[in-house]
Amino acid sequence: MENLIEMRHITKDFLQGEEVIHALKDTSFSAHQGEFIAILGPSGSGKSTFLTILGGLQRPTTGEVLIADGPFSRLNSKARTKIRFEKIGFILQAANLLPFLTVKEQFLLYNRASRTKPDEIRIKELFDRLGIAKLAKNFPSSLSGGERQRIAIAKALYHDPVVILADEPTASLDTERAFEVIKLLASETKAEGKATIMVTHDERLIEFCDKAFSMVDGVMKQIK
Amino acid sequence: MFLAWKEIRHSKGKFALIVAMVALIGYLAFFLTSLAYGLASSYTNGIDGWGASTFIMTEDANDNSALSVILPATYDAITLSSGDKAKLGSFPSVIKSVSSASKSNVYVFGVENDSFLLTSVYAPGALGSNEAVGDSSLQKAGYVLGDAFSLVGSTTTFTLVGFATNATFQTAPIVYLNLSSFDAAYGRPSGAASLIIVKGEVSSLPAGLKSYSHQDFVNTLPGYGAQVATFSLMIGFLVGIASFVLGVFMYVLTMQKIAYFGVMKVQGLSNAFVASSVVVQSLLLTVFGVAIGLGLTLLSGLFLASKMPFAVNTLFYAGITVAFLLFSVLGALFSVRAVLKVDPLQAIS
Repeated sequence: MENLIEMRHITKDFLQGEEVIHALKDTSFSAHQGEFIAILGPSGSGKSTFLTILGGLQRPTTGEVLIADGPFSRLNSKARTKIRFEKIGFILQAANLLPFLTVKEQFLLYNRASRTKPDEIRIKELFDRLGIAKLAKNFPSSLSGGERQRIAIAKALYHDPVVILADEPTASLDTERAFEVIKLLASETKAEGKATIMVTHDERLIEFCDKAFSMVDGVMKQIK
Repeated sequence: MFLAWKEIRHSKGKFALIVAMVALIGYLAFFLTSLAYGLASSYTNGIDGWGASTFIMTEDANDNSALSVILPATYDAITLSSGDKAKLGSFPSVIKSVSSASKSNVYVFGVENDSFLLTSVYAPGALGSNEAVGDSSLQKAGYVLGDAFSLVGSTTTFTLVGFATNATFQTAPIVYLNLSSFDAAYGRPSGAASLIIVKGEVSSLPAGLKSYSHQDFVNTLPGYGAQVATFSLMIGFLVGIASFVLGVFMYVLTMQKIAYFGVMKVQGLSNAFVASSVVVQSLLLTVFGVAIGLGLTLLSGLFLASKMPFAVNTLFYAGITVAFLLFSVLGALFSVRAVLKVDPLQAIS
């Protein structure tokens, strides 16, 4: 099976004062089409570092990240930003949405930035599937946390990326909403043929994932 | 443009206040400039319209044209290589209305019939010995065509046969008389002038005379230089400080939104896209504000022009507008620098 995103022997060291922190120790990882993968770990375990290196937000100290078999981590910041824009969909804890844009405009922002025409068919398809069509004209401040995350999922999928990276997507939700959002994320991953990598501290979410890894002190171990 | 405009639309109240602030700052700067320029113009309006290149008076007058007396023989000895010359009698005075006995401070100009000094303000170009043309501001003092007045210290009466617009000198309205009437009124030799006005090139100047360029002559007017310098400094500082405040304001406005920029960068929006939306928004706010400020200034000018020396100067307006736009863009660019440095990692816990 083709690797949509792949990490080869990544390490990441930080200098904190005079002490070197090994945030990530020799980590290799790959994700394939249709896979929904959870990375679990307490705060400070290195799971956020893992996600940011995967998303090209920072570079590894050694090793390489490839996306769709093409170079990623070795590119400069501008080129990585471009790849992030085209091939990665991000879902964050909160603040995914700009407060002054309506739900529909959040999607149009992508077209504005890429100087492309809005894909109305795609928007309608995603809106219907994720049940957010009736919210199209609302501003984020009038939406519930669950609605916001459903919109964030739709937005992450809109430009047909290769991988979806989710950072604690359920952090601000109650259990019922959290499960609902995660089930949606899992089914969308399959339906759209993406690879989704989710960082979370909530172990209950593992049951919805194809694979799960735990991260402790910069070392990743497969637990499912 | 997309982000900039959508955000303005979403927070109408907040941005209305910002535009109002820019408008008021702009209003202050434009209005003060108009008043200062109007005041400065009222010193020289009456001599600017001639298009004269050279002003000549006696050396003994020591830059004070009212004390200069140039005799006809001396006038004839001034030769020009090109252009035209004309005699001007000039003296500050007070006129007294025959009918109402009200008094007005004026500047009396004695001009020869058919000279360009007269034809430029009074189309018929000829004044009888008891006729006068006055600045239109005398109408506000109650004068109408046909009214008679006398110069204080003299019993001769003159009749107003015309009004000239923007005919002021050293802030006083000008009253034009025939040069011979002027000389008679001030007990000067017949045909004598205070100043010789030249439109063209002087080739020889008799001894005892001194020539001034237009600007040099204007600078001899008492109080003119000091007043212009004072106002220029005041307005210069006002525009400088206002531009700076505006720049800082745009900076703070952008810095408040830094968290969103982090999210946008995580999502892969390019620096250029984010930066341009910041700059466009600053420009939009400043353009709206300045336009409103300018509109208010022109509106005020309509109502106040009769009571204050208000004058429009498009060059100064353009200068102020450019300064405001420049500084607000600079302020925005300064915050753009911070935006570019935003670490997208901040958006990830």
